[in-house]
Amino acid sequence: MASESDATRFDFLVIGGGSGGLAGARRAAELGANAAVIESHKLGGTCVNVGCVPKKVMWNAAVHAEYLHDHCDYGFETGSDDHELFQKLLRHFLERITFIQGYARFTDDAEPTVEVNGKKYTAPHILISTGGQPSVLSDEEVPGASLGINSDGFFELETLPKRSVIVGAGYIAVEMAGILSTLGSKTSLIIRQTGVLRNFDALISTNCTKEIQNNGIDLWKNSQVKSVCKTEKGLEVTIVTKDPDKTNDEKISVIEEVDCLLWAIGRQPNTAGLNIGAMGVDTDDRGHIIVDDFQNTTRSGIYAVGDVCGKALLTPVAIAAGRKLAHRLFEGKKDSKLDYSCIPTVVFSHPPIGTVGLTEEEAVQTKGKENVKIYKTSFTPMYHAITRRKSQCIMKLVCVGKEEKVVGLHMQGLGCDEMLQGFAVAIKMGATKEDFDKTVAIHPTSSEEFVTMR
Amino acid sequence: MAALCRGSHRWKKINSFHVLKRKLTGKHDYDLVVIGGGSGGLACSKEAAQLGQKVAVLDYVDPSAKGTKWGLGGTCVNVGCIPKKLMHQAALLGTAVKDAQRYVKAKATMAEAVQNYVKSLNWGHRVQLQDKKVTYLNLKGTLVDKHTIRGLSKAGKETILTAKNIVLATGGRPKYPSNVPGALEHGITTCSHSDVALECAGFLTGIGLDTTVMVRTIALRGFDQQMAGLVTDHLESYGTRFEWKSVPTRVEKLSSGALKVTWTNTQTGCEHSDTFDSLLWAVGRAPETKALGLDKLGVQISKETGKIIVGPDESSSLPNIYAFGDIGEGRPELTPTAIKAGRLLAHRLAGRSSELMNYDNVRHSGSRPPRVIHSLHLSTAYIPVYHAFYKPLEFTVAQRDSSQCYIKVICERAGHQKILGLHFLGPNAGEVLQGFSLALQCGATYRQLMQTVGIHPTSAEELVKINITKRSGLDPTVTGC
Repeated sequence: MASESDATRFDFLVIGGGSGGLAGARRAAELGANAAVIESHKLGGTCVNVGCVPKKVMWNAAVHAEYLHDHCDYGFETGSDDHELFQKLLRHFLERITFIQGYARFTDDAEPTVEVNGKKYTAPHILISTGGQPSVLSDEEVPGASLGINSDGFFELETLPKRSVIVGAGYIAVEMAGILSTLGSKTSLIIRQTGVLRNFDALISTNCTKEIQNNGIDLWKNSQVKSVCKTEKGLEVTIVTKDPDKTNDEKISVIEEVDCLLWAIGRQPNTAGLNIGAMGVDTDDRGHIIVDDFQNTTRSGIYAVGDVCGKALLTPVAIAAGRKLAHRLFEGKKDSKLDYSCIPTVVFSHPPIGTVGLTEEEAVQTKGKENVKIYKTSFTPMYHAITRRKSQCIMKLVCVGKEEKVVGLHMQGLGCDEMLQGFAVAIKMGATKEDFDKTVAIHPTSSEEFVTMR
Repeated sequence: MAALCRGSHRWKKINSFHVLKRKLTGKHDYDLVVIGGGSGGLACSKEAAQLGQKVAVLDYVDPSAKGTKWGLGGTCVNVGCIPKKLMHQAALLGTAVKDAQRYVKAKATMAEAVQNYVKSLNWGHRVQLQDKKVTYLNLKGTLVDKHTIRGLSKAGKETILTAKNIVLATGGRPKYPSNVPGALEHGITTCSHSDVALECAGFLTGIGLDTTVMVRTIALRGFDQQMAGLVTDHLESYGTRFEWKSVPTRVEKLSSGALKVTWTNTQTGCEHSDTFDSLLWAVGRAPETKALGLDKLGVQISKETGKIIVGPDESSSLPNIYAFGDIGEGRPELTPTAIKAGRLLAHRLAGRSSELMNYDNVRHSGSRPPRVIHSLHLSTAYIPVYHAFYKPLEFTVAQRDSSQCYIKVICERAGHQKILGLHFLGPNAGEVLQGFSLALQCGATYRQLMQTVGIHPTSAEELVKINITKRSGLDPTVTGC
């Protein structure tokens, strides 16, 4: 009881100033709540500092490089570092919000209270939006693992590595391998099985794996890193490759003179150190905070949004969930929650991937094969009409039922990153194949192929 | 039964399968003859052939004033959408390279490459027609009577064909100004809608040429005028020069080979002149109806436009003669519309359906590097207009100006705020818009737009985040996530 009186009280206390936390805090402040954000590193979180934004800027640089390959030209410099600009913009927003720098940790007080640098803060509503971080392998698991960097380190690279090795088969590995390779680094990608993006629709997984190889990336299937050691010429990465047919057959190879080993093997939630267990906030076995549809944790008055929950690790999802929560808590909108279905996502590979809704496999599993109809097409975009370099565009619609409701849309090709948004609106509205066919095509584009599929 | 008997002595030696399908049309050479092998004509003829009709398509290109000719495929493939888009992309690359602090001087290579690609498309169309068993004739077609066509070859040889149904899909050609001395001899033309002038100016500037656009009154007539202003502002900021409210009065060729163009500014009344290497007329298009022999047959044409007056089923004033595509009065001059209308017409002519073409809600695309502008319907007052200026991520690094990256969503005031119009000005607009137009086709509301999770980071996501109304007067500039 005594310790509570010296805690600064807010209406809404947000731990973690990333996409979800900032969106929730801003919306709450707009609705009249006295809000505070606690941030231990930089405002903007992963997205702005070591995620979406610098990733997209680098992807654009790589796309420029591709264009230049097409014109047999070389020699360009990437632009200035705009991290400063984003920081400035973000601070500008937070005028009405109290900003507290430091690490937050729940105290043992009965009423949820958080301590930062020796000072205490409390609120009837506390939001945990601490996000996540790249997973790492310890040197015990893989000797020399710490000689490699992760995606955070990727954004701190000052020069382009001559020889890169990337480990992982998820979208982050695919994106980084693409950027490095297209900018001119000799790149290898080590994957445990036979394809990348295994949770995506099989067509995308197969096609992306193919495009990676077409783009000159050295793909190692059925492989894992066994050990890493440092030599004067660079790192030596030892790889063990399993033959999928003969379980005991293993081949050992070494990649030498590697100046960049990049681990992209997953991400884990930032919950260690928060002391949320003491608060009765349950987590899963990987540390993700368990929440219901309304972002409530298992402790009343404590909520969680974003990557820390482990579901749909995307900035717009965190933002939307944060805002919906603010409306529920501070505007009395009891039903305010985010619908997690039909969330569109883009992977900035070369060329980019767009996907929304169910994969073909998911549709068959949930609706039965006889109720699923697939439409597919593939073509060479007109951009390549006069380039020696070619890439394909593939498109797939997953339809169910007699009315052929479109439940999934998957594509990879030039322009797919900008194409997806509008289709996501239509699919969320319940568009059918007939709706697609009734729409007049925009010509000449790649997107028109979706409304002229037969 | 009577039809069978009448037709029997005119049948050629064919197997019974074909006999069954053609029993009513035995008295004509073809079930369908299409005059015009462009987007519409090809789509219609191929579809009809697939449905079992015996089809011929006549395609013939009268050389331009400078003697330019081209192959099968019509305006879109040869002198429209396709080469335009390729040049637009080349200009984008030129600009992209500028962003990368280098300059591209590949104009000649590009032109040749584009031409080669177009030729491959001409060939592709010929092969397709052959595969679908459509007879292709490189003849200039004229109507003799409502079932007879005279085809004239380049050498002057005549061929007569008869058809049960005739479809006119001859499209249009760019106009030359009629009252400007020297216009015909010294100028060239382009596909020539109001937006195409800007498209050409855009990509010419984009590949490094000093370009001026002369505008008689306003730019992009028929488009949302706020958007039109943003487009021209952007072109100007990129180095394209504009001479507003000006009309050319004469063109002379100088001894140096350069062209001297004299014009009058209609506001000041002053006369100006300057020299240029090339002069491109983009002052509109005229339908190719004069040489068809329509007046003889009494096919009604609009006196104002010269286009053929058509019903909702594309029929002309004569029962078995149809017209669609650019040549139809009141029809949008767009390839996808022509293709769709052509296919539906083929189905109706083959007796397979009665579905008519829905001409409402047609999207219009114009490519002006480095942006594309699209427009769906026009806005009117008193309607909630949500708008935003935004800065695409690609511009921050290149430090390019983004004051014209703009989005506008126009909604009904009442109820769920159904979206009436959507305007997007920014990079990649060509690819952004298709999905949204589908959503509009499904009756999307502002609320549904807002309920869709954005894809980050893209330009397209700005459409599902838009929330400042014009009425509020608030600054619509988007800043950060």
